[in-house]
Amino acid sequence: MPLGIKPGRRARASQRRLSPYRIIVLAVLAVALSGLAGGFAYFLPAAATAFEATGQVVNVPSPTPSPLFTPSPSPKPVVQGGPFTVLLLGSDDDSKFSADHVLTQSMILVRVIPATKQVIMLSIPRDLYVQFWIGGSGKIDGAYSYGGAGGAIATVEQDFGITVNDYIWVGLLGLIKLIDAIGGIDVVTSNPVIDDYYPSDIFGGNPYDYQRVAVLAGPQHLNGQHAMEYVRSRHGDLQSDFGRSKRQQQVLLAIRKKAKQMKAEDVPALATALGGEIKTSISLDRVAQLIPLAASFDNPDAIQQIVLLPPYTHGGGPGGSVVPNWGLILPLVHQYFP
Amino acid sequence: MISRFLLALGLAALMVVTGVSSFMYLQGRQSRVAAPPQKPTQASPSPDAFSLPGTLYFAQAGALYSFSAGRFHQLTPENGWMMPALYPDGSSLLAVRRDAAFSDVFSLTRFGNVTAALTNNVAQGYCRDDIGKNQWSFYPRLSPDQHTLWMSYDGPKYVCLGFEDFNVNLSVWAVPLGGSIGQGHSWTTPNDYTGGDMQPVPLPSGGVIYTKYSYDSDGNRVGQLWYTDRAGSFGRELTSQSADCAQPALSPDGGNIAMICTYGKQLSYLTIASWNGSSLGSLQTVISDQLVAQPIWAPDGSGIAYLAPSASDGPFQLWFLPRNAYHPPPPSPIPTPLPTPGGPYTGQLPTPTPSPAPPPVVIKPIQVTKNLGLDATSPMAWAA
Repeated sequence: MPLGIKPGRRARASQRRLSPYRIIVLAVLAVALSGLAGGFAYFLPAAATAFEATGQVVNVPSPTPSPLFTPSPSPKPVVQGGPFTVLLLGSDDDSKFSADHVLTQSMILVRVIPATKQVIMLSIPRDLYVQFWIGGSGKIDGAYSYGGAGGAIATVEQDFGITVNDYIWVGLLGLIKLIDAIGGIDVVTSNPVIDDYYPSDIFGGNPYDYQRVAVLAGPQHLNGQHAMEYVRSRHGDLQSDFGRSKRQQQVLLAIRKKAKQMKAEDVPALATALGGEIKTSISLDRVAQLIPLAASFDNPDAIQQIVLLPPYTHGGGPGGSVVPNWGLILPLVHQYFP
Repeated sequence: MISRFLLALGLAALMVVTGVSSFMYLQGRQSRVAAPPQKPTQASPSPDAFSLPGTLYFAQAGALYSFSAGRFHQLTPENGWMMPALYPDGSSLLAVRRDAAFSDVFSLTRFGNVTAALTNNVAQGYCRDDIGKNQWSFYPRLSPDQHTLWMSYDGPKYVCLGFEDFNVNLSVWAVPLGGSIGQGHSWTTPNDYTGGDMQPVPLPSGGVIYTKYSYDSDGNRVGQLWYTDRAGSFGRELTSQSADCAQPALSPDGGNIAMICTYGKQLSYLTIASWNGSSLGSLQTVISDQLVAQPIWAPDGSGIAYLAPSASDGPFQLWFLPRNAYHPPPPSPIPTPLPTPGGPYTGQLPTPTPSPAPPPVVIKPIQVTKNLGLDATSPMAWAA
C-alpha cells in the first residue's frame, strides 16, 4: 500500500466526522425543531381558519341617506381593557339566498365590561322596522343582505345611536357545527317547542320544504341540530321572534359555559368544524386576549339579557314588521350601551 | 465517531419521530368534551359496580336499555325508542318510538319485543302529504287498572296545505287500551302557543297529575303541576308559576311526589312534596347543585334515581339519592336514667360534661354511570 494515501484518507475521514459535543448539540436542535414543526403542523389548520375568519376588514358606510356613502374604517378602536360592543349576526345561509345576500335571523348586541365582568345582551328583533343607512326603510334583517356586515353595523349604529366595535357573523350550519364540535350543550328548555312548519333548508334538498320539530321541555343535552331547532323555531311561540330571541340568548350562554371546558389543543378540531361558517372583525391577537377574559366571567347574575318586548315595540308594521318605540328604546340602549 | 452520513440519517429519523410524537402528544391532550358517549352495554359501570334494587329502564340514542344487578342490557335497536313506562303489574313495558314527523306508543315485553302498536299517528287519507297532519304521542302511562292508556297527544287535525296551523299543543288524552284514538278523549285544555300539557301521572283515584305550560306575567314560559279529576274540567294548579316545576313522579306508597323546579333559572332542583290525594304539601328542595332531570322513586322506597350531567356540563348520567338524604331517620331518643337501686342519691351530683354534638351526616348522591349519554327528555321506569 502506498504510504502517502492513508494519512490523506484519515484526514478526510476525520474532517467528515464530528465530535460528540457537536452531535449532541445537533440532536438537541433537531429535536427542538421537529417538535416545533409537529406543533406547527397540529395548529396549522386552526391558524389558517383563524386568519381567514378573523380580522375581517369591514367598511362601515357613513349613516347618510345617500347611496354615495363615504366608507369609514372599522373596527372602531377599543381602549385596552375598556368596555366594548360586539354585534352578533346569525344568518340564513341556505340555498334560498345567494351567499352574499343573506338575511340575519338573529342580531344581538353584546356589551362587555371587563372591569366589572359584566355582560349585557340585547336582542334586536329581526322584523324591526328601521331606516337603513343607505336610505329607505324596511325590516332590519335586510341590512346585512344589502350591505354585508358594514351595512348591518351602520344601520344599528344609526338607528340605536351607539358605537359597534366589532362584529361576529355565524351561519346556520356554523352554529350546528360549533355546538357539535364542543360536544353539545346543556340547556333547560322552558317548554315544549312544537313546530309543524319548521324550515327544512339546512342539509340540502328543497330549501322551501318543511319538517316537524318537537324539542321536549326540561334539562337536556342538545346536539347542534336540536339546539338549532330550539333557537330557530318561532311558529309555536306566542312571542314569535321575541321568544326566539330569549332562546338564542339562552343557547349563547350555554355555549359560553361549555367552551370554558375547552383546551388550546381543541382549537384545531373546532376550526376545522367551523371552516367558512364564521367571520369576525376581531383580530387574531384580540381573540387570544378575549378567550381568558371570557373564561373569567363566571357569575351568571352579571349577565343581563334584554329583549325588546312590548311596550318597546309593537306589531302591525308594514309587511308584518315590528314597529319600534324609539322613545323607550333609546334611553334603555343608552343606559346599557353608552 | 460516526460518519456524517450516518449522523444525518440518525438525525432525520429522530426529527421524524419527534415531529410525529409532538403532533400526537398534542392530539392526545385534547379535552374529552366532544367525545361521544359510550353505549351502556360497553361502558361503566362494570358488573361489580353499584347496583340498584330491581330493574331500571331508560333510553339512550334511540334505544331502550335495562339496568339490573349492575349490568346493562340493550332491549331495542337504536331506532327512535324512548320514554319507557311499566305496566302497573310490572308484566310489560310501554314505550314511544319517534320518527322524524310523528311518534307512536307501543307495548313491549320486558325484554324489548314489540307486542302491539297502541297508536297510529302517521298522516293518512286525505291530504296526507301535509306534514302537519302527522301527530305526536309522548309520555305514555297506563291507569292503575291497566284499562286506559294515558299520554300527551296533539289531537286529531283537520288541516291541509294552505291551512297551516302554527298553534300546535299537546293535551293529556285517555284512550281505552287497545282501542282507537276515536274512542279516547282529551282531559285537559292546553294553553295556546305553549307546547301544551305533558307528563300525565294517572292516579288510583281516577284523576291525573300532569305538567301544564303557560306564560307568566313577564312573558316567560313556565311549567306547573296540575291536577284534574275528570275529563274536560279546568283542573287546579298544584305548584306556583314562580317555582316552574315539571316532570312529576309519584312515590310507590302514593304519599309523595318528586319533581324538578327551576325557579325561572337555567338550573333544575330535585324537589319533593307530600301528596294527600288532592293537594300538595310544601316543596322541599333536595338537590340544588345539579341539573336534575326525570326523577323516579325506587320501588322499595330506598331512594330516588335521576339523571344529571357528571361534570358541570355534559351528557346526562344516572344518579341515585339514598332515602336518608331527603328523609333522615329520627334522632335517637335521649336515654332516661334508670332508677337507682336503694333509692335516690342525695349527695353532690357530678357536673355533666356537655358532649359535643355529632356532626351532621351529609348523604351525597351516588353517581352510577360515568360516560353515558342518557336521554334526559325520556322518563325512566323502575320495576321491583
